[in-house]
Amino acid sequence: MTTNGERAEEGRPPSSLPAPPRTGDFLGKHRLSAAISRLNQEIQFLEEELNELEAMEPSSSACKEIFLSTEGKPDAFLPITPGPENTAWHRWFQRVRSSHSRKWWMHKGASDVS
Amino acid sequence: MSVAELKERHIAATATVNSLRERLKQRRQLLLDTDVAGYAKSQGRSAISFSPTDLVCCRILQGHTGKVYSLDWAPERNRIVSASQDGRLIVWNALTSQKTHAIKLQCPWVRTCAFGPNGQSVACGGLDSACSIFNLNSQVERDGNIPVSRVLTGHKGYVYSCQYVPDQETHLITSSGDQTCVLWDVTTGQRISVFGGEFPSGHTADVLSVSINSSNSKMFVSGSCDTTARLWDTRIASRAVRTYHGHQGDVNTVKFFPDGQRFGTGSDDGTCRLYDMRTGHQLQVYSKQHNGDDNDIPIVTSIAFSISGRLLFAGYSSGDCYVWDTLVAEVVLNLGTVHNSHESRISCIGLSSDGSALCTGSWDKNLKIWAFGGHRRVI
Repeated sequence: MTTNGERAEEGRPPSSLPAPPRTGDFLGKHRLSAAISRLNQEIQFLEEELNELEAMEPSSSACKEIFLSTEGKPDAFLPITPGPENTAWHRWFQRVRSSHSRKWWMHKGASDVS
Repeated sequence: MSVAELKERHIAATATVNSLRERLKQRRQLLLDTDVAGYAKSQGRSAISFSPTDLVCCRILQGHTGKVYSLDWAPERNRIVSASQDGRLIVWNALTSQKTHAIKLQCPWVRTCAFGPNGQSVACGGLDSACSIFNLNSQVERDGNIPVSRVLTGHKGYVYSCQYVPDQETHLITSSGDQTCVLWDVTTGQRISVFGGEFPSGHTADVLSVSINSSNSKMFVSGSCDTTARLWDTRIASRAVRTYHGHQGDVNTVKFFPDGQRFGTGSDDGTCRLYDMRTGHQLQVYSKQHNGDDNDIPIVTSIAFSISGRLLFAGYSSGDCYVWDTLVAEVVLNLGTVHNSHESRISCIGLSSDGSALCTGSWDKNLKIWAFGGHRRVI
């Protein structure tokens, strides 16, 4: 689809020289070419990914792996956890010797003023 | 070729890209035969049960005079570095609550901080578009401040996130408002690789977060305002390995799952998601129903997984900190409503290296340490 401007150019007598390209046109062409190259690259990547999906296993495989990976790992934040329990986990509730503070941190059973 | 012809080609190529993306989306949808919660249910798994006093705030780290924006635990178990709107980095011994270092920054608009793998250096970055490195063992200057060891310059936008490559004190990855991530050599200050930017398959908006795979430190994930997360191989800067779609808003935070094969994300769309690194599948959406206005949905600012991966801790702009059962996709506790909860947005979250404590940082200027103080049954 040509624009009206281009049709006008085609209609010019052959003896007239083509107008020199304006800087704006040159930069515009350069930017557009670069953008088109990037889009073509993107098209290639997307097509590769579509091909990949042909042979890809469904999500249930990964879900099963996650399920299994959380089992059997000692976790200090779980109320029920596989061992071994690391005694260092308790350090947050033990008396801390500090020259700056005589506080000691207890389990929530102690009364705190909110 | 004329400008008009080039414009036509551009329009045609854009249409092809959009159509391919749509086909990809539909093809992926067909491969989602179950999510994690669906699978867990089929295995008869029920949610972890906490009593309301099981997770306890056992330390409050007070000292910043402005919003806390970022925190990072040192690799050995008890120290934390935090960055604040007050223009300071503070290094804490979380066990004793003492401050071991307070660093006044040249550029006060800091957004991110990180501890080096040997626990001797800290890095920070922000609105100066640079990343500054401090050696904690340096002799302090006359004004009591630690001098900068190195400034990593080169980003053309704000530095939103930084992380040292595990076990490599000399390598660090940053993410920026210039839409790129950069791998730096800290000793020379040089950029080793730039991920994104001019190249296709890079992010197309600010990159807000990075997470390096601790099982394979050559791989890292980034999250961006372009609503995607992307996987990168540090050996191949020219293209992202994979792009993960699904979020409807900025991806503020990304974190690898402990098995190194999955990663979690948190977003302005109010959800967390779990993705499979290798296949690209979106395996689970963690989303809470909200009453009222859709414009009021609290955004997810930060996430962390417990050491087994069974729990997902998520900090929100509302001050809530939901503890999600990762497998069953239910909220099992909210640290935003327990005793000693934060009074304002939670901006950052991190788990200690042995997994025994969680640190949350907030716009209320405090950091809090949480641990399990209930009755634990070891099986």
